[in-house]
Amino acid sequence: MVKKRSWLLLLTFLLTLGLLAACGGQEQTGGETEQEEPQEEETTQPDKKVVVGAMDTAPNGQFNPIFYTDAYEANIIGLVFESLIARDENLEFQPELAESWEINEDHTSVTFKLREGITWHDGEPFTADDVVFTYKALSDPEYIAAGGVRTNYVARLVGFQEYQNGETDEFPGVVALDDYTVQFNYAEPNVLALADAAFPIIPEHIFGDVPVSEIPEHEASLKPGKVIGTGPFKFVDMIEGEQYILEKNENYWKGEPKLDSFVWRVVNANVILGMLETGELDFVGDPSGISPDDYELVSAMDHVEIIEEADFGYQILGFVHAFRTEEDINNGVINPDNFVPNEKLQDKRVRQAIAYAIDREGLIDALLKGHGEVVNSPIAKQWWVYDDQNPTQYKQDVEKAKSLLEEAGYVDVDGDGFVETPDGEPYELTMAYPLGNPIREQSAPIIQDMIQKVGIKVNLLQPMEFGAYSEQLEVNTDWDLYLLGWSLGTTDPDPSPLWSADAAYNYGRWNNPEADELAKKAITPPDAFDRDFRKEVYSDWQVMFQDDLPALLLYARNSIWAYNKRITGVDHLPWSLLNDVHEWDVTE
Amino acid sequence: MTKYIIRRLLVFFPMLFALTIIVFTLLKLAPGDPYSQIMDPNIDASVFEEMRKEQGLDDPIHKQYFRWVTSVVQGDFGESFRHKGRTVAELIWSRLPNTFYLGAFSVFITIIVALPIGIYSARNPYSLFDYAATGFGFFGLAVPNFLFGVVAIYLFAIKLGWFPAQGSVSQPGLAGFDLFLAKLHHLFLPGITLGLSSTAAYMRYMRSEVLSVLGSDYIRTARAKGLTERTVLYKHTLRNALIPIITLLGFEIGTLLSGAVITENVFKFPGIGTLYIESIGARDYPVIMAITLMLGFFTLLGNLIADILYAIVDPRIRYD
Repeated sequence: MVKKRSWLLLLTFLLTLGLLAACGGQEQTGGETEQEEPQEEETTQPDKKVVVGAMDTAPNGQFNPIFYTDAYEANIIGLVFESLIARDENLEFQPELAESWEINEDHTSVTFKLREGITWHDGEPFTADDVVFTYKALSDPEYIAAGGVRTNYVARLVGFQEYQNGETDEFPGVVALDDYTVQFNYAEPNVLALADAAFPIIPEHIFGDVPVSEIPEHEASLKPGKVIGTGPFKFVDMIEGEQYILEKNENYWKGEPKLDSFVWRVVNANVILGMLETGELDFVGDPSGISPDDYELVSAMDHVEIIEEADFGYQILGFVHAFRTEEDINNGVINPDNFVPNEKLQDKRVRQAIAYAIDREGLIDALLKGHGEVVNSPIAKQWWVYDDQNPTQYKQDVEKAKSLLEEAGYVDVDGDGFVETPDGEPYELTMAYPLGNPIREQSAPIIQDMIQKVGIKVNLLQPMEFGAYSEQLEVNTDWDLYLLGWSLGTTDPDPSPLWSADAAYNYGRWNNPEADELAKKAITPPDAFDRDFRKEVYSDWQVMFQDDLPALLLYARNSIWAYNKRITGVDHLPWSLLNDVHEWDVTE
Repeated sequence: MTKYIIRRLLVFFPMLFALTIIVFTLLKLAPGDPYSQIMDPNIDASVFEEMRKEQGLDDPIHKQYFRWVTSVVQGDFGESFRHKGRTVAELIWSRLPNTFYLGAFSVFITIIVALPIGIYSARNPYSLFDYAATGFGFFGLAVPNFLFGVVAIYLFAIKLGWFPAQGSVSQPGLAGFDLFLAKLHHLFLPGITLGLSSTAAYMRYMRSEVLSVLGSDYIRTARAKGLTERTVLYKHTLRNALIPIITLLGFEIGTLLSGAVITENVFKFPGIGTLYIESIGARDYPVIMAITLMLGFFTLLGNLIADILYAIVDPRIRYD
């Protein structure tokens, strides 16, 4: 009898489990019953062309280009939305939704002629009103409060301030001249005249009547099937946190995509390789990529093709030149005049000695298995202004490092193997680094060791979780060296957002008025419209950067992407595997 | 008994309240906020200053806490910072079922595997089977979740192809029995991974409990009465040996919800665990607080249930 009861218990358990699953099922499929039909179709049409891509983290779920923030959302948005113009492999702008444009003489205005006959995914025509609406939304008084961060694209437009402050409803910055002509007007001659106009366009007929503060929670920003763009694929379905399913836009203006369906799967980074090998995954692009450690494994897979591209970014060993005062920190002010110099790193020769102490080639060979490059300028090498000749190259030279230190008066007086300050005081630098990037974490003790080898004692701080680190970067008052990585956008080569004295991201508080002057000169019209002029000025700036060393650029890690050879038509860009995806096809 | 339950309930809510104060304060004292990690040279840093002001993140902690408590009492958990445009309640509801299935499945596996093995081991102590079970027990306790998960994926999903490697369901739009099967299929590997260490622990508990009960006087008496071995085992031994197991199961509720963090991540199984850990990384305060509150609630509730069950199954225990 007792035995029976235990079986009963088991049965109840199974039943509850089943019931729960069934309940959950209703929840998920509620209102989506029409989805079942294509399902059956899928089983009867085995030749449906589908590619599956991997992301190692789930997108946060905001699919509106004006409000998204993470790189995973960008993977989906990039296939669904398009801009007027886009950069090609040489970083030159090419027509997209706009077929041509004209820049006026003083670079204050650009007039775009839009392509006619383009339709949104729901069949509505794409017109100049959509462009005006998108830029108005970015300038809206409520935009920032609603969580928007892309005001950089609109800040230079005529009348932006007044519109954003709510002083006027007029928006002269972007004007529709007729249905297919739109004019961007800038307050001043603008070097970024085209870059500013390259923001993805959202549909006015969907969001036009929605207050900007409510756009983030609108279904067309969140729900598959409701997100409407002009791109080659429509976002039609998802299992949140697991799969994001896009289907071809048959009416795509560049031609019907050859693939039927494009699926993103969220896959743990440890499992990506295995699934790539079994063919469950077709490609791995950004931001996950293939780690340099796995390069050999992937290249051994016969059915997989590897692409390796120099990264648009670099890792740095930052030198803390100065600190902000406590008062400025509390007020959120960055005022170079108030900077408190960091005495320990004031002497340029000490910074240079540290630069000479580090074997960057060695770091790349050991940690990146050779899949990286030494860079000597904080401007991505893909840009036409990159100077690989004139800036100091800092090839490792221990003797030179030691003699620089000696020259600066830093010698080992007490014989403990480490130098003392010119006053004979003990000399010790603190070095901070964050968690989150395994290669950077491994590099920290190696770098410490390399610097100690030339006689400078380095005290490595406990690594910090990134959230904590990013705040400490701004407020600490006792760091000397810090590790950090930057990935650069493709907007413009201008380095001042990271390295000018008043830039928030210039965490070392490098304050070199001469360099700032140069950086400013390079973007000041009208000379700045002359490429040769700009190139020359940036060359001087890069030389100054390497001489004064706000940071030592450690390495640029290569992006490594992989795709199954059954995919044809892959024509990647230097910064992305996803390019002209409508040309992708699969062969069996 | 009723009095006891009421007394327990009376301390229940003050404890939850204290928990939220502590967690909230610690969270706010930790460096960083939802905006500090977005470091993008294309974004004007003043934008974040404006947002902090807008969201009241610059206010003193007690003010922020008070604001939070007031809205929670009214049933409003606020909006997520990280998942723009979505409410915390909606986020949690969308993730909760997955974690619940995973927890239920792993408890189920734990019970059907651990109890029989434990009982059999106890009845045949120091046999080959007992040693094997003990060996498995140590293995289960010693192997970390994430390692077991990754190895299981490699073997059973990638090499053998028996189970799906990732996720909680194969494709959208499934319904009815197909959905049930797909879910069960996807639950298998993460369920075993999550249940491994508790299976091992319960097995060890069960073995030692049964062993000690089998050696007690009333069992000898029962046998002396001439009862069949089956009656001795099921009626006299098991009922007594199960008492500590039931208590453990009560505690398990909270642990299962929070303990799934690692397993969920390895299998990219979208549940509360992954949401929790991602939210902590992103300092998504409203989500962290809501999940903390929920975990606290379930842990306290689990303890309460365990104590009540205790009194029901063990006639020696009386609460007055």
